[in-house]
Amino acid sequence: MVDYGSDPAWSDVVPIVQLDGGPNALAQIAYSDEYSEAMSYLRALMAANELSDRVLSLTENIIRINPAHYTVWLYRARVLLDQNRDLRSEIEWLNPIALKYLKNYQIWQHRQTIVDKLDDPTGEQEFIRTMLEKDTKNYHVWSYRHWLVKRFNLFNKGELEETERMLDEDIRNNSAWNHRWFVVFSQDDSVWKDPGIVNRETQFAKSKIQLAPQNESAWNYLRGILRNSGTPGSAIMGFVLQFAPIDEPEKIRSSHALDLLADIFRELGHIEDAERALDLLANIYDPIRENYWTYRKDKLVISVDS
Amino acid sequence: MSLVAGPGRGGATQATESVPLVMDKHIKYIQDLNERKDEYEYWLTEHLRLNGIYWGLTALHLLRHPDALPRAEVLDFVIDCMHENGGFGAAKGHDPHMLYTVSAVQVLATLDAFDEFNQQVGDGTNKVGHFISNLQVREGVDAGTFAGDEFGETDTRFLYGALNALSLLGMLPLVDVPLAVEHIQKCQNSDGAYGLRPGGESHAGQVFTCVGALAIAGRLDLVDRDRLGEWLSERQLPNGGLNGRPEKREDVCYSWWVLTSLAMIERLHWIDGQKLIDFILGCQDPDIGGISDRPGNMVDVFHTLFGIAGLSLLKHPGLEEVDPVYCMPKLVTSKFLTGTTTKS
Repeated sequence: MVDYGSDPAWSDVVPIVQLDGGPNALAQIAYSDEYSEAMSYLRALMAANELSDRVLSLTENIIRINPAHYTVWLYRARVLLDQNRDLRSEIEWLNPIALKYLKNYQIWQHRQTIVDKLDDPTGEQEFIRTMLEKDTKNYHVWSYRHWLVKRFNLFNKGELEETERMLDEDIRNNSAWNHRWFVVFSQDDSVWKDPGIVNRETQFAKSKIQLAPQNESAWNYLRGILRNSGTPGSAIMGFVLQFAPIDEPEKIRSSHALDLLADIFRELGHIEDAERALDLLANIYDPIRENYWTYRKDKLVISVDS
Repeated sequence: MSLVAGPGRGGATQATESVPLVMDKHIKYIQDLNERKDEYEYWLTEHLRLNGIYWGLTALHLLRHPDALPRAEVLDFVIDCMHENGGFGAAKGHDPHMLYTVSAVQVLATLDAFDEFNQQVGDGTNKVGHFISNLQVREGVDAGTFAGDEFGETDTRFLYGALNALSLLGMLPLVDVPLAVEHIQKCQNSDGAYGLRPGGESHAGQVFTCVGALAIAGRLDLVDRDRLGEWLSERQLPNGGLNGRPEKREDVCYSWWVLTSLAMIERLHWIDGQKLIDFILGCQDPDIGGISDRPGNMVDVFHTLFGIAGLSLLKHPGLEEVDPVYCMPKLVTSKFLTGTTTKS
């Protein structure tokens, strides 16, 4: 570790010690001497608005102790962007830090700034994969991935295959499901008029439901496709009945199937069947949300009356 | 205000029956946080200090002990965080950012200190209003949303924060509210819920910010209440706690974000309130106070606030009524928002 006080490279800097907390402040600075000393040198450099290489080494040390300090990252980015510094080596330096501090989001904002400036996504998809192997639902990483895919138009560059691979590992990973939706459907509304893609995605969702009938994410995906493509629920009634055979209630395997079935019955005007499905949900398959299912039932009657 | 976790642990006492709300312990716990400056972690969490003041102060108000923190000291701290451009940093010397600026405005409103603030800082509230309004993105694909600071990261959290603070200041006309509303609509997913940016995964925290912003804008009519309500109520797990996304674990803070979103769209009764109350009470450290994310973990001030706010929304006796849109005492928001859109 650097001892700034005795290092000649820092002898021109007068550290600014922070006195926080009133008259007893000095007694209170019992926290790590290393961090406190580094911060006092940082304040001095910032006050002088210095944009030098030693800012990079100082912020590197501080980030290693406390990667959540927002201002330190901003200052570092400012120095990096100020002159033509080597941004590739910054990314290489950043990788192990991101892997060590999984929940930190400043790292991802910083990465975005650097990669945007680099104007080149080489290596990013691979690194995202490494990150997600450690934390498969990390919201910061997925958000960064959205940005990356849009910024460099990577929609057709292995992203679809990657979601498939991740769903093979964990069929319930909602982040991967969402990313698949983003890759397939978010670019252009005309996709809904392409039966090839709509069918492919419908089959994909169905095949995953077969493997895990009580998986909320897969059902949400399927319902999203039906709604956006204007497909009536009755078109998949046979499929849904496999998981919610309403005439043999003891064989029902999925509350999500039963929920969709109630909607299909309503759509077909079979109000009593819809009521039966909603009763099963309220009483047996999802009683914690009894009030919600009762609301749905009341609405059936209203829609018949009106 | 220390953001350090502990020393207590949620559910520290293995109770077989439900635990009562230990109000006095929580008050003492938060007061003590303000004195823990001799710990290393106190300094490592400096980047959250101003948010922490908001969390602690609001919890104390909801616990009906509004004077439990030294008012003058809190006010001095907040003013010290302000920059010339009208933004606030997390602590003195930290860069200004939307998230801290919103906390500052919320704290000033809660202390009823806008006038004192303006006396001490010339033109203070106007500067704050302009700092916030300058962060709105006015054109391009992200038009309507807000950046967190001059570096331009956007997030529906910043958008919500901007409308929250500006409405408390009476300065909403400084920004293009319809454009902000348009942006929120782009963040809605096919499951009826909302993400961080267009295409982002639905997430209870982002649902709160999007629905909260629509509530402030007076545009809750744009929400598909039944579809969103179904997604939100689906977040309750058999143990009574709520998660933030499908297949994630329950957590006291997500419980608040889901709950308050349900309240704003008038669907609060779609989950089992009693089970959630029991879950939150089970996350208390009944001996030394504080609430954790889930039983067995360390308590902290963030989860303490959201636990208490959740209990308030569920009408737990002894607590001040919380405004679901602002996560502030209704007594406070009603002072600043007469005639606007916080009915719920």
